[in-house]
Amino acid sequence: MAQIELRSVSKHWGPTVAVDGMNLALENGEFVAILGPSGCGKSTTLFLLAGIYAPTSGDICFDGARINDVEPRDRNVGIVFQSYALYPNMTVLKNLLFPLRFTSVKSEEALRQAKAIAELVQIEELLERHPSQLSGGQQQRVALARALIKKPNLLLLDEPLSNLDATLRLTMRGEIKRIQRELRVTTILVTHDQVEATTMADRIICMNAGRVEQIGTPENLYRKPDRTFVATFVGSPPINLIDGHVRNGSFAVGQKRIPLSGSCRDADVTLGLRPELISVAETGLPSEITNIEPMGREILYTAQSEIGLFRFLEATPQPRMALEDRVRLHANPEDALFFEQETGSRIEGLSLAAFS
Amino acid sequence: MMQTQTRRQVVNAFIFLGPASAFLLVLLVAPIIVDLVVAFTDMSQTVRIDEYTTDQFRKIIRPNEEALLGFELRGSFYRALAKTAIFVFFTLAIFNVTFGLLLALTTTALPDWLGGTFRAIWLLPRMSPSVVYALLWIWVIDPTERGLVNQVLTNVFGSEPVNLFLQHPMAVIVVANGFIGASIGMLILTSAIRSIPQHLFFAARADGAGPLSIARHIIMPALRWPLSYITVFQSLALMVSFEYIFLIMGPARSTMTMAMLAYTKTLAPQIGSGQYAYGAAITLILIVIGVVVALLLYRLTNMKRLLAKPRIEVH
Ligand SMILES: Nc1ncnc2c1ncn2[C@@H]1O[C@H](COP(=O)(O)OP(=O)(O)OP(=O)(O)O)[C@@H](O)[C@H]1O
Ligand SMILES: [Mg+2]
Repeated sequence: MAQIELRSVSKHWGPTVAVDGMNLALENGEFVAILGPSGCGKSTTLFLLAGIYAPTSGDICFDGARINDVEPRDRNVGIVFQSYALYPNMTVLKNLLFPLRFTSVKSEEALRQAKAIAELVQIEELLERHPSQLSGGQQQRVALARALIKKPNLLLLDEPLSNLDATLRLTMRGEIKRIQRELRVTTILVTHDQVEATTMADRIICMNAGRVEQIGTPENLYRKPDRTFVATFVGSPPINLIDGHVRNGSFAVGQKRIPLSGSCRDADVTLGLRPELISVAETGLPSEITNIEPMGREILYTAQSEIGLFRFLEATPQPRMALEDRVRLHANPEDALFFEQETGSRIEGLSLAAFS
Repeated sequence: MMQTQTRRQVVNAFIFLGPASAFLLVLLVAPIIVDLVVAFTDMSQTVRIDEYTTDQFRKIIRPNEEALLGFELRGSFYRALAKTAIFVFFTLAIFNVTFGLLLALTTTALPDWLGGTFRAIWLLPRMSPSVVYALLWIWVIDPTERGLVNQVLTNVFGSEPVNLFLQHPMAVIVVANGFIGASIGMLILTSAIRSIPQHLFFAARADGAGPLSIARHIIMPALRWPLSYITVFQSLALMVSFEYIFLIMGPARSTMTMAMLAYTKTLAPQIGSGQYAYGAAITLILIVIGVVVALLLYRLTNMKRLLAKPRIEVH
């Protein structure tokens, strides 16, 4: 259990910048998720924390002490790799005992601890097997147990659920959360599955191209995304984005003017509106249905309005509307978000005064 | 329809396996059969077969009263057997396996460019023509003050020059062959180390393992199969290799291994050659020993199990 801090940490590989000036502070016992697209530097961040890579610049601190030059073995970090990285020549029990070889724990005590941790992740019956004789989910539990056996100060999970099927993923999500709460260990979970991030973590770090785009609660990232990238990356189906301009207190797209609430100088902006927050009503923005996609319990419609395409959801088993139907789209005008096109940052306090 | 297909398969089999089979037949099977036949004849300088006999083997096992050289032949056979065993064992144990392993471990632990440079240097003897390599050794151990070893001995240590040809002939051929053999071991083991997933090293480091523990618990288990491979195949190769021995030592008695004996008794342009049947008999014994050793090592190193099991976990 440690308090973790990154101070403008960067990691370069020749010309490649894997992590770019990252700032981050984690509370004791906190569970955070790093969410971001492939290649954005998530694994690199974990390896920097574990001490496997040394940062090119910046400081990494555990409990206030700078540990840049501290060897991995002296950091007491448990890590679960995306590939699990179990030692293929050792049995499950030997895998679990391996981290204890390098501590002062006596062999009897080590055995007792291995049994206890195996019980925690429910792999007691598998102790004599080799990793090649385990299913993906079992391997994942072994990897988790091996990471936990030293009672690490920091637990790092690199996409631990990506190899599992949907059902197992759901169970393991709950398991990891339970174990984390039980042990109260500071945990960082890397994922590019936003549902995983939002359901498991207290806070989410949204990364893109080596930079932190936003850190906040799942709710926060969803409702108040700081940047266009976060708005598009968090939420499914993705947020509707419509490019336009601020002209004399109105949002202008072509000839259409929609009044704004809040003040903003004239600029090129992007309107963002979540599909879940749009519905069809008596009054609202006139549109025409152009596409209908049944998605199980919900139906995703696409509608062409005067200012652009909107996608919205309706929770009905059968489509209520047909292609080319003329409808009126309704949304709470204050739900509309605005982003500066030039910088991609959200304009605080700006929204629509009406949606019609 | 079915018929044309099966015919197609037969034709394909011939096209793909034909060249390799012909190669095997002409260069491996045929010589073994010839050897087998000649070993049981009395063929000598005249290259004529007068009778079929087991005389050649009898010469090896017990003194031949009729022939003046009989006793001598028997003695030289047993000496060759012992020298082969010493030569193969020490070259393999010291160089091909141990030194190859050390080279692989150290060069993979170094930064890439440095490790690569070292490996390239170690490959040089293998890449240079064998005659050049042998000449180099002849110069290195030259018994006069011209030799490299003697230059170092006299100039640096101020001691007397040594004649390694006479004093340590076996050591000379072990070292000369070993420097070449080590590079094979190094290459195979290096690629085996390279194929260990990077994450296993990361995991071991995060678990607290230092370089020595990583070598012992992560690298060595992954090298069991390549080490067995090197042991089996290099021991067979060394058993029949005489190229460098002949080039460096000539037909010297002090380094007369089985392969050298078979060669000097038959084809070598030296006195004593032309005893084709006797050479064939020695070669036949060498083949039998090779098969037995291969099977023994196969059992010993548990290669069957290693072949059957996945060597490295792949996800
Ligand atoms: N050892 C390395 N040498 C050179 N470049 C590297 C190395 N490791 C990572 N990179 C680069 O750094 C960037 C970040 O890589 P990283 O593995 O952290 O991505 P990631 O966010 O974990 O992606 P994924 O979700 O696909 O696992 C990538 O552009 C990658 O190509
Ligand atoms: Mg990754």
